[in-house]
Amino acid sequence: MIWFLLSLFVVASATTAVFGARLGRNALWVAAIPMAATALWSLTFVGSDDVVESGFAWVPGLDVSVLFRIDALSALLSLLVAGIGALVCVYAVGYFSASAAGMGRFASTLTAFSGAMVGLVWADSVWTLFMFWELTSITSFLLVGFKNTDPVARTAARRALVITAAGGLTLLAGFVLFVDASGTAVLSEITPITGSTATAAAVLILIAAATKSAQVPFHVWLPGAMAAPTPVSAYLHSATMVKAGVILVAVIAPAFQETEVWKPLGLTFGLATMIWGSIGALRHVDAKLILAWGTVSQLGLLIALLAIGTPKATFAAMSILVAHAVFKAALFMVVGEVDVRTGTRNINELSGLRRSMPVTFAVALVCGVSMAGIPPTLGFPAKEAAIEAVQGLAGAELWLVGGLVIGGSVLTVAYTTRLLLGMFGSSEPMPDRPVSPVRPAMTTPEVVLGLATVGGFVALGWVTDVVRTATVVVSPKAEVYSLYRWPGFTDAFITSMLVVAGGLVLGALLARRVVLSGPAARGASIADALIDGLGRVARRIARRVQHGSLPLYLATTVVVLGTAAVPFVGEIDTDQLYWWDNRAEAVLVLMIVSAAIAATTVGSRLGAALVLGAVGFSVAGLFVAIGAPDLVLTQLLVETVIVVGFVLGLGRLATRFPTATRLWFVGRVAVSLLIGAAVAVALAGAASSPSGEPPILDLAESAVDEGGGNNVVNVILTDTRALDTLGEVIVLMTVAVGILTLTRKRRTRANATDAGGGDTRVPEAEAVG
Amino acid sequence: MIARTSPIVRLAVRAITPIALLIAAFVLFAGHNQPGGGFAAGLLLGAVIVLRTIAGLQQPRHAVLFLAVGGIIVGFEAIAPMLWGEPLLDQVVLSWEVPVLGKVKTGSALVFDLGVVAVVVGLVVALLDGFDASSLVDRGRHPVDVDRTDHDAGRPA
Repeated sequence: MIWFLLSLFVVASATTAVFGARLGRNALWVAAIPMAATALWSLTFVGSDDVVESGFAWVPGLDVSVLFRIDALSALLSLLVAGIGALVCVYAVGYFSASAAGMGRFASTLTAFSGAMVGLVWADSVWTLFMFWELTSITSFLLVGFKNTDPVARTAARRALVITAAGGLTLLAGFVLFVDASGTAVLSEITPITGSTATAAAVLILIAAATKSAQVPFHVWLPGAMAAPTPVSAYLHSATMVKAGVILVAVIAPAFQETEVWKPLGLTFGLATMIWGSIGALRHVDAKLILAWGTVSQLGLLIALLAIGTPKATFAAMSILVAHAVFKAALFMVVGEVDVRTGTRNINELSGLRRSMPVTFAVALVCGVSMAGIPPTLGFPAKEAAIEAVQGLAGAELWLVGGLVIGGSVLTVAYTTRLLLGMFGSSEPMPDRPVSPVRPAMTTPEVVLGLATVGGFVALGWVTDVVRTATVVVSPKAEVYSLYRWPGFTDAFITSMLVVAGGLVLGALLARRVVLSGPAARGASIADALIDGLGRVARRIARRVQHGSLPLYLATTVVVLGTAAVPFVGEIDTDQLYWWDNRAEAVLVLMIVSAAIAATTVGSRLGAALVLGAVGFSVAGLFVAIGAPDLVLTQLLVETVIVVGFVLGLGRLATRFPTATRLWFVGRVAVSLLIGAAVAVALAGAASSPSGEPPILDLAESAVDEGGGNNVVNVILTDTRALDTLGEVIVLMTVAVGILTLTRKRRTRANATDAGGGDTRVPEAEAVG
Repeated sequence: MIARTSPIVRLAVRAITPIALLIAAFVLFAGHNQPGGGFAAGLLLGAVIVLRTIAGLQQPRHAVLFLAVGGIIVGFEAIAPMLWGEPLLDQVVLSWEVPVLGKVKTGSALVFDLGVVAVVVGLVVALLDGFDASSLVDRGRHPVDVDRTDHDAGRPA
């Protein structure tokens, strides 16, 4: 079933991509199929102890496997991911106009993203998780940059990609260290680890989670990602992608609980993000940005709770994760609907929508109340659990963490109040903004999520059960905790009511103060500047290294190869060296040397080519003398083709070499001598230090038995060392394709000039210093 | 570049072609037991194509086709053994009795070599194509020094 559902995602993604143009907006219905199926299947595992595992060894030599495991936790997460995904698809049908372009592309990437996310939460091996993690980065990049002609969206998408991809690299490094320290890559077999490797892994994995889950200072990509169409924001930036980091921290936390850095670093990330996010939410006037910053803040709270790491805190984090996924997706949908129906998201320009959009208002109110943590919504017991978890701390930690969490909660209530008042408050109708008619496809998913928010409070027993069984997967001691509809007058309840009161007052005050525009995205511009700078440095390096001078490339290669011969100098055993086996060799070597020297001094190009040919044929003669017929044959043929090639090529060049400067001449001589000496030294060194028996004897024996041939050389080529030959074939093909593309390009350009009435001959670049 | 206009060269190349092809085939099949093999056979075929191109008997074309066919053969040959659980690039040796010739032994190495032949031929053709060898031949109609004279001058505008 796991494989069936995952392949369903692949099929749906491919179908919508191929038939997108014909399907138009209906592609979104196709996209919803795998999501709905996955959500339904997940529902059967939620809250139960059943476990399904499946997988295969991918790279057995490196112990890399593809493993999936469906348990109460991964099923709950996939229920959220796929369920909200299906609702988002329905919502998107209403959001986009019937004539919207690129719907196939949109549906296809959305499905691919959703599938990647499902794979991520089901993964039971760090490598599987990593693979899907990267897949979500790429697909979300495509989704954020969906309006690919809009420079704002493109910059935002690039920023999101660079930050999350950098996090991906960090994650890879972290996982390598983690597997090294713990000895297992299987997530369900995690045991606590300590030591310096574990510490390094903890830091790296936390940073990776922070990039994905938009923790300060990596949060800068999230508000920018609001350039995406609202369905994307509702999906990626509420329920799914930004939760990936949180999920990672949750499942891997048991391993790092005992390292020293885990808790302080996680708390720092989380609390800083929570406060900074909620302040950000109070400063903006774009309703979507307010929600985006609110998400940043909530993610901070989640990371902080998971970093505390007590069973109670983990339980609270899971409860908030569920509640947040539901209400935040709904609120994004509400903002999207307001945007579509009124044409603006600016809370200064909106007012009195509770009259003109009553259903939407009801949903917004319910979900806003849930976000603020007020009954009768799911957000209330979840927030309650969080405050209780923080109360479990002691000493300075209690005051610091508790203070910040309470402060953050006050701000959360405040920005919720400000948002709701801004959009729906005040009874004045908006004179200059007509409200277009209701779109059922948009309203329906909102209502479903709104009902879920209230229904979760009503059926709190079931929700408790579901969240508890999920939490127990990573934190077995959490089975004693529950969510309460009415906790009684506990400290937590009184605190939370004070928080709500404070937040309401603050929010109402701030809602009165008219802020004309939100703050400039300074963090984002710093990130962009860094990214641009990186590009500039890379370009500068590339220009320096890829200078385009063929002789210099050759010289560089030759010098580097030459230095590789240095270690052989000590290996040469002069006693073993002798001049020749038979005299013919001496004559041939003399020919080779004189021809080689001649090749450097000849002034005409054709002459040089011919002299080089003489070198080659003399070498072939040398092979005859040694008794290597295979080499002779090949050498002769190669030489022939090379000579022909030279002749053809020379037709396009001046007949004589250009006169060289003195420096260039000296350099050329030095490089030639260097490579000559290097090859001689390497050969002499290698020949005088044979390491054991020459393998040729074994090879000769096995050639007849296994390779089925008497020619050892060819059996080596096609059987024993066939992999090398395969590599060489690939090299040949690469060279051929290179020749074809380079020369085609040149010829097309020549034809273009021809068409313009100019000279057809493109002067050959003579790159000589 | 007088090849095009020299009937002797053209005739000689035409006479050599079948012989060279035979030798290439021989070198390919002999390769397993005697000097030769796919690379040598490919170069021989390449040399034939070079000669024929220079003599104006053919155009260097289909380089990509040769490369693709060779690549597919070699790639298939490499991966195929894995399909029935053998290691990458494993070879199968076949031998059977053929009347007149006696015992004939061959193996999947021959197929591998055929792929190598195609790739080498493809490379040579790509080289000829890249150097625009056929246009050099065309210039042979006006035997002039291509470096100093604008050979397009006489062309109708």
